[in-house]
Amino acid sequence: MRRARGQALASARRQLMRLVWFLLLAGALYFIYRRPAVIFRGGPPGVPSDARAIPYYASLSLARMTAAYVLSLLFSIVYGYTAWANRPAGRFLLPLLDVLQSVPVLGFFPAAVFFFVGLFHGGRLGLELAAVFLIFTSQAWNITFGVYESLTTIPRDLDEAARAFGVGPGLRFSRLLLPAMVPKLVYNSMLSWAGGWYFLIACEIISLGPVNFSLPGLGSYLINTAQDGRLGLTMLGLAALVALIIALDLLLWRPLGVWASRFKYELTASGPAPTSRVLTMWRKWPVARWTMVAGVAVWSALRRVVRAVLTPPRRGLAAAEKVADRRWPGLLARLGSFAARLVGWFIVAGLGYLVIRSVIALGRLLLQPMPPEARLIPAALAASFLRLSLAYLISLAWTVPAAYFIATNERAYQVLMPVFEVLASVPATALFPVIVFIIAGRAGGMNVAAVLLALTGMQWYLLFNLVSGVRSIPADLEEAARAYGLKGRLYLTRVVLPAIFPSLVTGSITAWGGGWNALIIAEYVVYRGRTFTAFGIGSLLDQATYTSGNLQMIWLSLISMVLLIVTLNRAFWRPLYDLAARRFKIEY
Amino acid sequence: MALLELKDVTKVYAEEGRSITVLDRVSFDVEEERFVCLVGPSGCGKSTLLRMIAGLDQPTSGRILYEGRPVAGVDPHIAVVFQSFALFPWLTVTQNVELGLESRGVDPTTRRRFADKYIDQVGLDGFEEAYPRELSGGMKQRVGIARALAVEPRLLCMDEPFSALDALTAQNLREEVLSLWEDPNLKVSSIIMVTHGIEEAVFMADRIVAFSARPGRVISTVPVDLPRPRNRKDEAFLRLTDQVYSLIV
Ligand SMILES: Nc1ncnc2c1ncn2[C@@H]1O[C@H](COP(=O)(O)OP(=O)(O)OP(=O)(O)O)[C@@H](O)[C@H]1O
Ligand SMILES: [Mg+2]
Repeated sequence: MRRARGQALASARRQLMRLVWFLLLAGALYFIYRRPAVIFRGGPPGVPSDARAIPYYASLSLARMTAAYVLSLLFSIVYGYTAWANRPAGRFLLPLLDVLQSVPVLGFFPAAVFFFVGLFHGGRLGLELAAVFLIFTSQAWNITFGVYESLTTIPRDLDEAARAFGVGPGLRFSRLLLPAMVPKLVYNSMLSWAGGWYFLIACEIISLGPVNFSLPGLGSYLINTAQDGRLGLTMLGLAALVALIIALDLLLWRPLGVWASRFKYELTASGPAPTSRVLTMWRKWPVARWTMVAGVAVWSALRRVVRAVLTPPRRGLAAAEKVADRRWPGLLARLGSFAARLVGWFIVAGLGYLVIRSVIALGRLLLQPMPPEARLIPAALAASFLRLSLAYLISLAWTVPAAYFIATNERAYQVLMPVFEVLASVPATALFPVIVFIIAGRAGGMNVAAVLLALTGMQWYLLFNLVSGVRSIPADLEEAARAYGLKGRLYLTRVVLPAIFPSLVTGSITAWGGGWNALIIAEYVVYRGRTFTAFGIGSLLDQATYTSGNLQMIWLSLISMVLLIVTLNRAFWRPLYDLAARRFKIEY
Repeated sequence: MALLELKDVTKVYAEEGRSITVLDRVSFDVEEERFVCLVGPSGCGKSTLLRMIAGLDQPTSGRILYEGRPVAGVDPHIAVVFQSFALFPWLTVTQNVELGLESRGVDPTTRRRFADKYIDQVGLDGFEEAYPRELSGGMKQRVGIARALAVEPRLLCMDEPFSALDALTAQNLREEVLSLWEDPNLKVSSIIMVTHGIEEAVFMADRIVAFSARPGRVISTVPVDLPRPRNRKDEAFLRLTDQVYSLIV
């Protein structure tokens, strides 16, 4: 009897989850086929370009970043955990994540602006939400993959040990799953945070340039001052941005990284644990302590409130169930499951209806006579693909040797990693105003700029993935290699390259994702009212969005781009990834 | 002259400003044709010592002499068998076994012949093309042993080679290692084996070197003169086991 009731409750909870998913999907679909009526608000946006305003702008940008990051973190843990723990769901969630990751987020920025601004009737909040949403989409997938991956690499005997000791789900999560996630969570957060700056600045620039909204922040400040030709102020803004990034790195990410490395699960002791002076300082600094204590207090208070809110009804429900059960045994459970089924059918029907309608709407849109520009799409895709390939090859050429050198040389690691991390966290988009200022109007300049920008969007993913790959070569394998005298080329081909193959593949996948994104702002630039383009799918998309407003072209470009990316992933990277997991993964 | 001589070998690790002495003036010799076991409490530096003998690490002070010459780096006459097997997951059994020969520039056909011979020796016939993950723990360690034998070392260093295996597999492998070592066709002269099992040490060794808890010092070296093959139920066997136990505990 209790079982049946438990099942009914569980299924009710599942229905609730389904409802949430349904609402999300419905929202997405609504957003897809709702025509973006409106809304370029003309006129020069009133962003003062004054050096004294820099701190204000910086704080605005930082607030956007933080909001987006917190969202990403929550999303990642929930999504990654669900994909891992619930196998059927995982079968659907993982490929979806794959697609999401390969969607060039920036392409959707205008759409997101329309949606959110429309939602808030043209208010500033809508624009802010659009920016936060965009940054979120640039951060979340990477962290989610990190969560999922670290969960899958939990040694099975560890999980089984936990279960054998009767560790309950809550404790299992906090003692086993969460600690297992921490290293990747922190590491990928660093990457995502850096990526976030990139998109934040891009948002602020786009909003000011083509979209013509004002989203005051460091990005809009940079482009504004560059457009006015006041490069001195631009440089000052850049310096402020770099300082902010470095400060956050030193005060936040670095100590976090050290802290996270304690959670690494290793079979062999491998040298001294890393230390961080700042971490020690954080620990000793009274304010930090009190913040931590306060944080814990707030957290537990929140939990208590949530529990208090949730418990009475559940208790009341249980009491009611007891009474009901005594009179009509099993009725409640049956009723519950009937209601659940009803809700389920309702949802499926509603969803089906929405899907069909939006497919029809989209189909109708696409079936209209093709605009003449549509014929350019294949060539544009090819041009963009070539640009990215070039940037990728350049990245590979320097990151593989650099990563190997850095990872195997402790001194180089100590000295160069921070440098690269800072360099990587300087969003390339922030350099964009400067690059544009320099090359604007020069023949062929846009091509160079586009490749450059794509490069800056790709190389760091490769570098950091490779470094962590080299460093994760187990100590005993390295020792065996040394004991059997492996050196030089043989050591490279027998040990290093196979060992880093998985991280090379993961890094490449992420790098290409970053590259496609970069292209969207790299191929189309509005500068002092003039438009510069480099022919490619990005510029095609941007033109359709900002100048012609041709919805059909927007969708054609987006769909063909996503299709190409997904096809590349499925046909090329996926098999490589599987091979890496099958043959080159190090496990015992 | 002994095959291997250790003279006042000391190892100090510096960690977070503090320095930890792991091994303190360890001295003993390993003669030719000997089987020496190192026993001692966990953390007393046995693995560290073995790694230094294999040239994978250097003593802070003191000397390790192989055939009278100081061990400087990895020596082609010394091979290592790892507790965790340390097989390369992306290489087949044959490729793993060939590794040491390949790094010495031995040509492919000779390499292949050697690999086949030693894969045969450890009883892994038919698994030449398998990948490590397809093998059981015992089979993996057989690959580890074949890989060590394939470079035809004079001194074989084994760090708890059987402790990751089940009792039955471990016992089988112990006997096989002994018979390989006694095989006059094999080049291996002496074996140094780190172990936790005192019974295992008494079963296999000619001599047991017992270490104290950290910092590891040699408490005593116990000769084991029991005739081979040894019987664990034997009175003398049990007496000796007890004696070594009382030394360490
Ligand atoms: N690279 C290193 N840096 C600092 N300390 C180390 C390092 N390697 C080992 N140690 C320390 O040296 C001590 C001895 O380690 P070792 O692995 O040699 O012990 P062991 O006798 O083999 O132990 P066990 O029987 O558990 O395998 C340990 O306390 C270990 O923490
Ligand atoms: Mg050891």
